[in-house]
Amino acid sequence: MASLTIDPPPRRRPVCLSHGRWTPFLFLAPAVLTLFAIGIYPTLFAVVTSLRHYNLTRTHDGFPFVGLHNYIAVLADHTFRETLARTALFYVTVMPVELALGVTIALALHRPGWTLMRAVVRVSLVVPLATTYAVVGLIGRLIFNRDFGVANQFANWFGMPGLDWLGDPRGAFAAIAVMDIWQWTPFCALIFLAGLSMVPNEVEEAARLETSSPLALLRHVQLPFLLPGLTAVLILRSADILKLFDMVFTMTRGGPGAATDLVSIYIQRVGFRVFDMGTASAQAILLLVLTIVLSRLFISAFYREID
Amino acid sequence: MKKSLLGVLSAALIATFAVPAAPVLAAAPWAIEKAAAPLKGTKIKVLFLDRPGYRAIIKLLPEFEKQTGIKVNYEVVPYENAREKQVLNFTSKGDITLALVDLVWIGEFAENGWIVPVDKFSGDASITDPNLNLPGFFPLLLNAFGSWDGKVYGLPFDNYSGLMFYNQCMLKDAGFDRPPQTWDELMNVYAPKLTRPEKKQYAFALQSLRGETQSADSFMRFLWPFGGSLLNKDFKSNLLSKESQAGLKFRQDLMKYMPPGVVSYDHAEAVNALAQGQVAMITEWSAFYGTLTDPKTSKLGKCLGVAPEPKGPAGRLPALGGFSLAVAAQASPAQQKASWIFTQWATSEAIARPYVEAGGVSGRMAVYKDPAVQAKFKYVEPMVASWQQGVPEFRPRFPAWSSITEVVAEFGSKMMLGEVSIEQGAKEIGSRMEETLATEGYYDGKKKKLQ
Repeated sequence: MASLTIDPPPRRRPVCLSHGRWTPFLFLAPAVLTLFAIGIYPTLFAVVTSLRHYNLTRTHDGFPFVGLHNYIAVLADHTFRETLARTALFYVTVMPVELALGVTIALALHRPGWTLMRAVVRVSLVVPLATTYAVVGLIGRLIFNRDFGVANQFANWFGMPGLDWLGDPRGAFAAIAVMDIWQWTPFCALIFLAGLSMVPNEVEEAARLETSSPLALLRHVQLPFLLPGLTAVLILRSADILKLFDMVFTMTRGGPGAATDLVSIYIQRVGFRVFDMGTASAQAILLLVLTIVLSRLFISAFYREID
Repeated sequence: MKKSLLGVLSAALIATFAVPAAPVLAAAPWAIEKAAAPLKGTKIKVLFLDRPGYRAIIKLLPEFEKQTGIKVNYEVVPYENAREKQVLNFTSKGDITLALVDLVWIGEFAENGWIVPVDKFSGDASITDPNLNLPGFFPLLLNAFGSWDGKVYGLPFDNYSGLMFYNQCMLKDAGFDRPPQTWDELMNVYAPKLTRPEKKQYAFALQSLRGETQSADSFMRFLWPFGGSLLNKDFKSNLLSKESQAGLKFRQDLMKYMPPGVVSYDHAEAVNALAQGQVAMITEWSAFYGTLTDPKTSKLGKCLGVAPEPKGPAGRLPALGGFSLAVAAQASPAQQKASWIFTQWATSEAIARPYVEAGGVSGRMAVYKDPAVQAKFKYVEPMVASWQQGVPEFRPRFPAWSSITEVVAEFGSKMMLGEVSIEQGAKEIGSRMEETLATEGYYDGKKKKLQ
């Protein structure tokens, strides 16, 4: 009797599911390299440039290393300090309004009912955000035109005389502030609305049963959920206002006089009109430092983990 | 035999006298098609502005491309970005082969070696039109727009003169049958009768928006005709001179006859104010003639009048502006040749008439001698008159102007707003300007005092 032998199935090489020590690096590499290329390298280049005499229209002078000379020159530059102070004034003018209006709109949209209206308003909030800065500036030029602008038309309806918005230093400053508020209040509203949607329903409903005061509800229940959003808004808007350029440039070019000459307009002028890249880089690096300091301050002042 | 000897002698005589002309007779006449034949398929790149002169040449471009086989790539950019784009392109060895040079950029472009003098090409008969005729350009334009330190770099392409555009009907209603001849007459005789604030009507509008508009169109316009200037012969500020102060004070006094908010007026607002009957007179670039005659953009119709800018105590020294085309040093040899051929074509006497008909303003003298052109375009006569005199350094053309114009723009508009007095503003501009010029090396003999 012949014995039946069955060959064992050929042994497959086991699939290697374990990760080598380089695997995480390989997964992270594309993101890190991209970040390096578009974020870190330009920043390092700006730092190096800021330590050199680097004028693109004086290439025959070379690009000698000048140490901290550009930083000292910037800090001693009266115009830089003036434009920075004007930017700070702009910030404290628009931010409270944007925050107050943003919270108000978010609370209105958070109320139960009016489903269709809320949906329409939410979509329409995106429109100003999606509008290009330069276009916002051009719209601003039309709105605040002394002769046929909508702003003066409104004023006339209420029996007020028309103002020379863009030809008057205070009027021009107010006009760019209004356009910034128009563009960025929806952003604040959407961030706060996201915060409000994080409030647990049962907590909010219980609170509504406890109190009929919307202010008490806001203060004790909703506010903690708004603080992370508030921190984000403050950080993002600080950085954004420090580099606000297109809208103001198309609307006023920094004038009349120096009424709307914000720091970013000044840096652009130094960098791309005079082409003094060394000084402009030093200015930009100082603004970066300022943004980081402000961000840390905002985080320590407002950011709270929600328990 | 005699006959044959006579024939030989005749032939020898003909040969003797005809020899110098022989090569000319032998060579075929210059033709752009032939000159460009070796360059067929070459691509050249230039920046254009969104202005009538560029729209005119764009209309004519297909003809050039068909004749030569050279492809002209152009990018239309706003004036404010044109210098920035070109400087970045030149410093990064980009793709621009033909520079568009505003008269205030010529020093910077030439000193940095970004553009090539025309004599590099004009000696090469294979690519140079024998009818190039440089003396056929208005000397002022060739000097101001295209030349630096005694060398010609660019050929005048988009040319402007400051002109007075006015509403003849408004002037007639106020009892005037001609435009003012002097600035003094404008302010003291015409302006009071033409200003009716209750009807929102004003005598004059001066575009004064911060930027080059303030420094070139507003500030400088009131220096030269009054005998003033930005710099004296030692390159020190001349703004505190009696003449400069008088001009700036005149501008300030004239503001009471201008619409409120004129400090925020750019060209568009000033032209529109005249076009819509809000003001009676403006001084603007000749290039805006098309806007003011187009019924879609202007209500003036036959009421439009054009005259040279008024005279000041120092004479008629109107605003001068314009652009030349210059071959970029960074272009390859073939692209340089192709760009040179295009430059000659776009600024040639042959193309001048169609260019003017299409809305451009040629820098060639011959085209404006044509009575039909004079009759058709009202701006021609005053513009040609303006180009007979004038100062090439109406705005200094040295590389430092890009820094100085910013200071002039800031303090020029602050003066108009009353934020600083004329004297204070002039002092501020002067000290900052001298600081810049010292850094540039004008005071220690490192740099020639060219403007």
